[in-house]
Amino acid sequence: MTDLFPLWNSLRIAAISSVIVFFAGIFAAYYAAKLPRGLKGILDVILTLPLVLPPTVCGYFLLLLFGNRRPLGQFLAQYGIRLVMNWPGGIAAAAVVAFPLMYRTARGAFESFDENLAWSGQTLGLSNTWIFWRVRMRACRQGILAGAVLSFARALGEYGATSMLIGYTPGRTATVSTTVYQLWRTNDERGAFFWVAVNLVISAVVLLAVNLLESREKKTGKRMTN
Amino acid sequence: MKKVMTIILAVLMGMMVCTASAEEPKTELVVFAAASLTETLAEIKALYEAENPDIELVYTFDSSGTLKTQIQEGAECDVFVSAGQKQMNQLDITADGEKNPERLDFVLEGSRIDLLENKVALVVPEGNPKGIKSFDELAVLLKDGDILMAMGNSDVPVGQYTQKILAYYGLDEEALAKAGRITYGTNVKEVTTQVVQASVDCGVVYGTDAFSAGLGVIDTATAAMCGQVIYPAAVMKNSAHPEAAQAFLDYLRGEEAMVIFEKVGFTGIKK
Repeated sequence: MTDLFPLWNSLRIAAISSVIVFFAGIFAAYYAAKLPRGLKGILDVILTLPLVLPPTVCGYFLLLLFGNRRPLGQFLAQYGIRLVMNWPGGIAAAAVVAFPLMYRTARGAFESFDENLAWSGQTLGLSNTWIFWRVRMRACRQGILAGAVLSFARALGEYGATSMLIGYTPGRTATVSTTVYQLWRTNDERGAFFWVAVNLVISAVVLLAVNLLESREKKTGKRMTN
Repeated sequence: MKKVMTIILAVLMGMMVCTASAEEPKTELVVFAAASLTETLAEIKALYEAENPDIELVYTFDSSGTLKTQIQEGAECDVFVSAGQKQMNQLDITADGEKNPERLDFVLEGSRIDLLENKVALVVPEGNPKGIKSFDELAVLLKDGDILMAMGNSDVPVGQYTQKILAYYGLDEEALAKAGRITYGTNVKEVTTQVVQASVDCGVVYGTDAFSAGLGVIDTATAAMCGQVIYPAAVMKNSAHPEAAQAFLDYLRGEEAMVIFEKVGFTGIKK
């Protein structure tokens, strides 16, 4: 029971997928807004799909893509990239499932951004990249941060797609969620409860940190007004 | 308003009367069965319901350990068919204290029988990527090779049989798991699927699952390695329809059902 591998594994999977999803979500939200209306609608549906699909359906699709018998899976295997039954596969599963959260939140934040600020920057001769990171992202900080936290939490708690893609190999692919399920199935009540408590503590700490950050901002008043 | 309500009420009551007399209520028999019986029992359901139109069979297939827990927690069940004696013993008050430590009493006295015998088999994905040829070879590869084997977890009968096989070869399961050479499935069908999809290099399932999934059996475990694989079946004490349940159990031991079982590789146990 004191084998803490699932904790370490869940944290690294959640952290890495959160970073991937952070950038992917922001860029998808930024560029999707610039698309013509029809294409934007379709892309929006596709990108939001993992949010409404059951995780097991997402897991099934991932297996269809990356399974060892599938063309894409075999193609990637030639370059040494395997995503089934190993922990990097967990990153794929968590990233797919958490992506829509970041994407939607970022889009919402960007849509409420006052474009005048960006245009002012352009009249001042600032590069688009500078404007994006220093103006747009700063102004949308709240929404972006919320999206990042949500996607981290979702990635940490991913079970269905993870279980299907990487199974349960203790010491190699076990995450907190798959461990709880296995311990419950093998009637290890104490073990299962231990991991439930661990997960609760992590989630509480993350949410507390976010709340602290937000209240600190309100106090110092360091916010760019929209 | 009053008139409208009266008309609606009359229509509803009329509908209730109509539906009540339209169908004879069917007796629902809930059967909890080991996952390895999925295909055979599905076939038997069609035959049995055709011969007994007043019976409707409702199946729950899962690992026998999970089913035992569900029965213990009060799930409605008329007939239980387990893939191992262990799970049935845990519910049988006539079993000794060691086998039934919680002193559970769910098995209807006198209804328990040994129904089928199965074989534990080593299966590999199509093309046998690691070229495994036997359990002996598997043991060597597990000890110091690069291999990933799927097996049932300790709550699953086939997992328990696999543990016996590992012990037979003197292998330390925990060490192998830590080394990342064993991955656990929550029931035998999950293990089978992982082998079929080539997510693992090999798996230990039942001969019948291999047959149903079209997997080639590389090697079969002997009784010395894991004991005999016997499937007991019994009527549950809390069954709402004990006679119908017993009738179904008798049918399972009969000729028609045995033909279906033996087709996929089960061996019927004659009393």
